[in-house]
Amino acid sequence: MAARSTSPDNSDTPFYREFEHTGDTGIELTAPSRGELFRRAAIAMGAMLVGRETVVANLERNVTVAAETDADLMHDLLAELLNLFVVDSFIWRDAMVEEWEGTLRVTLRGEPFDPTRHDFRGEIKAVTYHQLSVEQGADGWRARVIFDI
Amino acid sequence: MQLIKLNDHLWEIPQQGAMLVSGRIYANARMIEELRDDPALTQVANVACLPGIVGHSLAMPDIHWGYGFPIGGVAAVDATNGVISPGGVGYDINCGVRLATTSLEFKAVEPHKHRLADALFAKIPAGIGSEGAIPGLSRNELKRVVTEGAQWALRNGYATQRDLDHTEEGGRLAGADPDRVSERAYQRGSKQIGTLGSGNHFLEVSRVDQIYDGELAEAFGLREGRVTLLIHSGSRGLGHQTCDDYLKLVGASMARYEIRLPDRQLAAAPIVSPEGQAYLAAMAAAANFAWCNRQVMMHLSEQALMEALSVSPRELGFALVYDVCHNIAKFEEHTVDHRKRLVCVHRKGATRAFGPGHPVLPEALRDHGQPVLIPGDMGRYSFVVAGLETAMRETFGSSCHGAGRVMSRHKAKAEARGRDLRLELEALGVTVRAHTRAGVAEEMPDAYKDVAEVVQVMEAAGITRTVARLKPFIVIKA
Repeated sequence: MAARSTSPDNSDTPFYREFEHTGDTGIELTAPSRGELFRRAAIAMGAMLVGRETVVANLERNVTVAAETDADLMHDLLAELLNLFVVDSFIWRDAMVEEWEGTLRVTLRGEPFDPTRHDFRGEIKAVTYHQLSVEQGADGWRARVIFDI
Repeated sequence: MQLIKLNDHLWEIPQQGAMLVSGRIYANARMIEELRDDPALTQVANVACLPGIVGHSLAMPDIHWGYGFPIGGVAAVDATNGVISPGGVGYDINCGVRLATTSLEFKAVEPHKHRLADALFAKIPAGIGSEGAIPGLSRNELKRVVTEGAQWALRNGYATQRDLDHTEEGGRLAGADPDRVSERAYQRGSKQIGTLGSGNHFLEVSRVDQIYDGELAEAFGLREGRVTLLIHSGSRGLGHQTCDDYLKLVGASMARYEIRLPDRQLAAAPIVSPEGQAYLAAMAAAANFAWCNRQVMMHLSEQALMEALSVSPRELGFALVYDVCHNIAKFEEHTVDHRKRLVCVHRKGATRAFGPGHPVLPEALRDHGQPVLIPGDMGRYSFVVAGLETAMRETFGSSCHGAGRVMSRHKAKAEARGRDLRLELEALGVTVRAHTRAGVAEEMPDAYKDVAEVVQVMEAAGITRTVARLKPFIVIKA
C-alpha cells in the first residue's frame, strides 16, 4: 500500500483543545485527514511538554509504530514520543507523518531538551486508554486522549 | 445515576446491569450533590463489574474522575477467583506520602524559611532533564533497588532501621521480580531515585498547627508548634512505564479469559493467570522503587535541614512518623460475609487505614492504629489521622488519600492567568519554590476541596480519628 506524507505546518495555530478532566488532562484533536490527525497529535504532545516557541527544529528523529486499530496507533505513537522525551531527552517542534494501514512512521524535527533554555511545562506520566478514540466523521477526523499527569 | 442515601455520610449505587456488587460512596450531602453528574460515579459502577469483586465497589470522600477506577476508589477481589487490574493501581504505582517530625520549633525556623526553601529546592531534583540524587546506578544495582525497596536505602546509608519499621510493608513489598520490569521502564527510572516528579507531587515543610487527640499525637510524635516534613511522590517513570506495559499485556489477554469490562482502562486478568502473576511481580518491583525514592528524598531533606539551619542531628531530632502508599494492590485478610478471606485490595487514590491492634503495624504504633497521612492543598493544611476498627469492617481498612480536586488542571491554569500565585501564597505565609509556573497554577489551593471536609466525613463514618493538623510554610514543587 502506498504511503502518503503530510507536509509540516510551521504556524502556531493551536493543534488541540484541552477539555475538562478533573484529575488529569484530556485533549481533543481534529484534522482534515488521518495522517494530519496523527501529525497534530505528535505536535500537541511536544507542546504540552515544552513551550513550542522555545524549541528549534534542527535535528530529526524517526519513530515507527504498528497496531491493529487507529486508537491503538494513537496510544502507541504518543507513548513512544513520551519515551523519546523522557529517556532520550529529545523535544520536537514539528512532525511529518507517513501512514499505512496499521503503521505510522513519524519524523520529528527538534533538538535535545535543555532545561535551562526550554520552557518545560510539566511531566506527562502516561497516555491512558480511558475514553481513547480516533474517529472519522463527515467533517474530518477527530481524536480524544486523556493523559495521566 | 441512581443513588440511595444510607446515612448522612454514606450513599449507595444499587447493583444493576453488569455490576456484580453495589457501589458505596462516602460523602456528605453537599459533596454528593456536586458528584451527581460526575463521571466518577459511573467509574464506581464500572469497578463493580470486576470479576471476583467482594463487598462493595467503594469510593472515599476525595473521589473524583480518574481513568478506569475513580480516584479515591477501593475494590477488594477474591485472591483465588478474582482479577488484578493494573488500572486499579494506576500509573504511579505506590504513589504515597511520608511524614517526619523534628524537635525544631516553628518560631525558631520561620525567620530562616527562605534559606531553608532554597536549600531543599537545590537538594531535591525534580527529575526532568536533571540527574537524580544518586546518578549512575548500574542495571544490576537498579534491580537490587526494585527487589529490596527501602532496604536498599538502609544498606547504602540513606535510612535507619527505625525508618523501615515506620514504613508500610517495611518499605519492601514481597514478590518483586526484577525480570518482570521492562528495559524501557528501567531506562525511564534509571536517573530518578531521589527525585520528586511533577503534577501533584510536592515536598512540604509544615508546623503542627492543631492537635485533636493528644494521646494519639504523642504516640505519633506530633507536638503543637513543631516543624514537620511531608513528602508526596511515587515510582516515577519506572512505575509509569510498568503500568503501561502491563495494561497492554493484560488487555490483550482479556478475550482469552472471557473478561468483558465497560472501560478499556480497567483491563484485568485473573490473579492466578501468568499475566496476573507477572503484573503483580512487576508492580511489587515498582512499589519498592517508590519506597526507595521517598526514603532517599527524606534523607536528602534531613541533610538540607541540618545544613540550612546549622543544627546537629540531635538538635534536629528527625523521626519518620509513617510512610503510606495510596496507589497499590495488596493481599490482605478481611472479614467478608462473616468469614475471613484473603482478598486483593486495590487502592487507587486511597490509603490503608488499619485499626488498633492490627498485627502488621509496628509495635510502637500497634495499640494506636495506623497513622494515615492526608495532604490538603499548599495554601491550607494537611491532616494526620489514625485508622479505626470500623475501617476494617466497612472499607477493607481503607481511608481517603487527599483533598480531591474540584477544578480541572485546564481551568486552574485559566483561573491563575494574570495572578502571581507565588506572591499570593507568600502573603499567606507559604514560601513556594517551583521549577514551572504551570506546576503552581494547576495545584493552586482553589483547585482542591477543603481537605478538612473530607477528613470530617471519614471521622463521622467512624473510619478514622483525626489526630493533628499541619500548616505548610515551605512548598517545593517541580
